[in-house]
Amino acid sequence: MPAVETAAVSRLHEQQSFNVADFPIPGGREEDWRFTPLRRLRKLHTDESLGDGKVSVDVADAAPGVTVERTEHGDPRLGSAYVPADRVSARAFASFGEATVLTVAAGTESTQPTWIAVRGEGADGAAFGHTLIDVQPNAHAVVVLEYTGSASYADNVELVVGEGAALTLVSLQTWAEDAVHLSHHHAQLGKDARLAHTAVTLGGSVVRLAPSVRYAAPGGDADLRGLYFADAGQHLEHRLFVDHAQPNCRSRVTYRGALQGDDAHAVWIGDVIIRAEATGTDTYEYNRNLVLTDGTRVDSVPNLEILTGEVLGAGHASASGRLEDQHLFYLMARGIPLAEAKKLVIRGFFGQLISQIEVVELRDRITAAVEAELA
Amino acid sequence: MSFQRACALSELPETGAVGVEIAGVPVAVVRTGGEVFALHDVCSHEEVPLSEGEVYDHTVECWLHGSCFDLRTGKPTGPPASKPVVTYPVQIDGDDVLVDVS
Repeated sequence: MPAVETAAVSRLHEQQSFNVADFPIPGGREEDWRFTPLRRLRKLHTDESLGDGKVSVDVADAAPGVTVERTEHGDPRLGSAYVPADRVSARAFASFGEATVLTVAAGTESTQPTWIAVRGEGADGAAFGHTLIDVQPNAHAVVVLEYTGSASYADNVELVVGEGAALTLVSLQTWAEDAVHLSHHHAQLGKDARLAHTAVTLGGSVVRLAPSVRYAAPGGDADLRGLYFADAGQHLEHRLFVDHAQPNCRSRVTYRGALQGDDAHAVWIGDVIIRAEATGTDTYEYNRNLVLTDGTRVDSVPNLEILTGEVLGAGHASASGRLEDQHLFYLMARGIPLAEAKKLVIRGFFGQLISQIEVVELRDRITAAVEAELA
Repeated sequence: MSFQRACALSELPETGAVGVEIAGVPVAVVRTGGEVFALHDVCSHEEVPLSEGEVYDHTVECWLHGSCFDLRTGKPTGPPASKPVVTYPVQIDGDDVLVDVS
């Protein structure tokens, strides 16, 4: 019996259900929907039936030791690690036609990435999906998830990382400019499991991605990184949640974004709960936003709820601002024209994050995509 | 330029607003002092329908944080909103209120 009774203050992450009706239709004032333009979600959050959109999921060549299956509702593995946490997520779970299951056999060690290509064939009608990546004990796997084309798409990606296993996942949201995508990526980490999750969001009209982590046993380590670039009219939202419910786990969240153009909107929510039993927790959340023009909007909200004093470290930081004049002056004083100087500073701003991406062949591609945004 | 019917004049309170949607655009139709105005029905600060707010001093007040928007110009008269909302031309045809959102 603890001397002081502690109750979780936030109720934000308490509700979970497979039943869509358990979540009321959001009206826009709810804490978890207040930054999202509901009007632009193409009714994915309502109870209206939506036409059948077409989205294909292909796994081209799986790395050795990785098995790819297609399953349907009723497969007991689906939803075993993740219970939907909002209405759209519950709807996606109830409505998907076919789930993609990747199983990485125990003890497999492979640095060759397995590519999951999700391609939308049109924004008319809605499509729903489910992906489960099961990394069995002591296996190491690298997976790239790539969303392209145009679609109105809601999906859940369930990541199960077993004891002593490691998963590197890079999720590329390179949608066409009319796409609407709402997605939950939920990872369950076993004892001493490691997760490196990188979200790169450049495309789409509205993208709302919610990566979350829950530790099932002590010793887990989660590194969640993100890079986004919002252009005129784009709404790019990342909602991170790390639930420290086990002792001696570590988490790092590092997101960097840039915005340019009228009504470019970036939202970053970084929630961490350190529960009373999670002693020895080490967590830090970090968000930086670079505002390149007038007319943009950034909402960055880190929330940290600590219910034990016995932590190794717990912190967060968030800042949004313009390019610093001194940086530009430094470069221009060395003969570099303003436009070039801006590009160099922005390249540096993202460079550290890009260089951490484990899939080497993606680094150049992402650097080039960011430069193309600046052109 | 194309004026489309927004609502009936008789649906509008003497002083107050009605929210309608014209060609997918949310519009707040506001009457005060015998005049009718039309503004974009989303506050420029957060996603709040201005038509749910109070009308006074030739402004409509966003009920969430209290920014008031001038009915003639769409400009906010105080924070937290800093950007104006779009205003639309209005015509009165008998009992019909016509608004041009193009």
